[in-house]
Amino acid sequence: MSEFLMYLTNGIVIGVINAISAIGVSLIVGIMKVVNFAHGELYIFAGYFSYHLSVSLGVPPLLAMPLSIFFIFLIGIGMERTLIRPTYGDEMYSLIITFVLSIVLQNAALLIFGPYPQKPPNLVTGAMNIFGLYHYGNQRILSFFISIGVLLSIFYLIKRTWFGKSIRAISQDREMAALVGVDHLKVNMLAFGLGAALAGAAGVILSPIFPVTPSGSSSISLNAFIVVVLGGMGSLKGCVVGGLILGILENLGAAYISTMYRHIFGFIILILVLVFRPWGLFGQKTQ
Amino acid sequence: MDNKKLWISFAFIILALFPPLFLSQYWLHVMIISLFYVMMASSWNLIAGFTGQVSFAHAAFSGVGAYTSGMLTVYLGLPPWLGILIGMGVAALLGFGVGYLCIRMGGIYLSLTTLGFSEILRIIITNEDQWTRGTMGLQVPGFFVEYSKTSYYYLFLIVTILLLIVIYKIIHSEMGLTFRAVLNDEVAASSSGINTVRVRVLAFAISSAMAGLAGGFYGHYLMLITPDVPSLGQMFLVLAMAVIGGMGSFAGPIVGSFVLEILSEYIRVYGEYHVLLFGLIALAMARFAPEGVVGILRKKWRREWA
Repeated sequence: MSEFLMYLTNGIVIGVINAISAIGVSLIVGIMKVVNFAHGELYIFAGYFSYHLSVSLGVPPLLAMPLSIFFIFLIGIGMERTLIRPTYGDEMYSLIITFVLSIVLQNAALLIFGPYPQKPPNLVTGAMNIFGLYHYGNQRILSFFISIGVLLSIFYLIKRTWFGKSIRAISQDREMAALVGVDHLKVNMLAFGLGAALAGAAGVILSPIFPVTPSGSSSISLNAFIVVVLGGMGSLKGCVVGGLILGILENLGAAYISTMYRHIFGFIILILVLVFRPWGLFGQKTQ
Repeated sequence: MDNKKLWISFAFIILALFPPLFLSQYWLHVMIISLFYVMMASSWNLIAGFTGQVSFAHAAFSGVGAYTSGMLTVYLGLPPWLGILIGMGVAALLGFGVGYLCIRMGGIYLSLTTLGFSEILRIIITNEDQWTRGTMGLQVPGFFVEYSKTSYYYLFLIVTILLLIVIYKIIHSEMGLTFRAVLNDEVAASSSGINTVRVRVLAFAISSAMAGLAGGFYGHYLMLITPDVPSLGQMFLVLAMAVIGGMGSFAGPIVGSFVLEILSEYIRVYGEYHVLLFGLIALAMARFAPEGVVGILRKKWRREWA
């Protein structure tokens, strides 16, 4: 029983981090109809940045984390300005360009950081007894609360601020938004940067627990995509629920069915969603 | 096909008969691999360039063809040609299934799902090593009793030409017309009575079958099938060949395959940098010259002749 609870807790912790990563993809899809296939690479870069800032340069880990996210935000803005902006309206080219970009970044990571897995230092050590049932690592507990904090700030940003209103306006009706004075180029750029930063946030939060390697990036992208489809394209609530479902199923599946096939559970979910509810849990049924 | 084009193609085919007479074994190998990439890039172009749907499972489908045929010949003793035909059928069925599920939801869903399909296939092949030999690679029989690069060259040449003829026929048929109608204006196409989803699913299944066929021949040529065949790295090469050569044109992927494969032999000494280099070239082309090398040349010629 306590074993089951531990796997379940793992699933929930991974689930909220899945949600952060997926919201990064969902924001960009919702506003620009662009899927960023380089999402996983941004996550990996954030993990390596965080590692090198704190281990190689001696920056305190708690400062290295937001600093890495900020770098990824800038990379995202740069990507949007140079490569993505000219493809608006041409779905095919945006898919091709972000896919090529993912291969380029993956090879660049291999070149810059080497093939070895790295993990930034833990913020805390030790473990805590949860309700007298089982022991759970403090780093994971802290990661969970940091993730909840990040999720709450995203929801605040999108539901309560001017920037969030512009984002929602554009994803509902681009032309109407432009008519009432929303500068969609600027919002696109910032939203792409924010989407990238969320990949970075997931990367810096999870990398102390699961080390990053350049070859691990495609499964990270894929996880985020599965959550987005499961939750419904463009739905933030869907990302949270979908992220938790995927996190829990993957961890229970890996524990009780097969570790080697951990990533297959996600793909099975994707296929089931496409068969029975292709618009996802909270997506809008169109057509 | 007008007369001029017919003569040009004929001249190319005649020229293609000669390489075994003067090329070394090594460069003959490069030519055979190039022909494999011509099949891959041209059949990928059939869906991406002509119907606007980006599949990331093309290399995966070639892996389906290679592994199906490889395992049938190794474990059941089937002759390679029969194995390849069955492998092609399996690729077509899987392509139809994936296409049927995703295409009604739009191009983004197809790209996401095909990426997932590639990853899952890689995981299954590496983990089921009692059947696939995992990363060690599956040793399979060759096509000919006596191994000869010259025989393989002519075999690949014939298969490639046949495949290109089929692709050409499809592009210039009624079906090709509907492909382009769907690409140019989906709403207009569907309102003029074209079932856009059915056209796209069909195109996707045909193209996947072609990848399965190419992969089957590739496996029996290399005689060792590894998870690199269905990898995303391989997928990227095929995509880069089509993009750099010129998507949406018949000649583009053919030119791109030869250029990139021959180029990669020259820069092989620098190790794995060639993937990074090809990636940067492909990005620059997609950004500044989406019609590819063939498009640039065509424009230039037109200007000089005018």
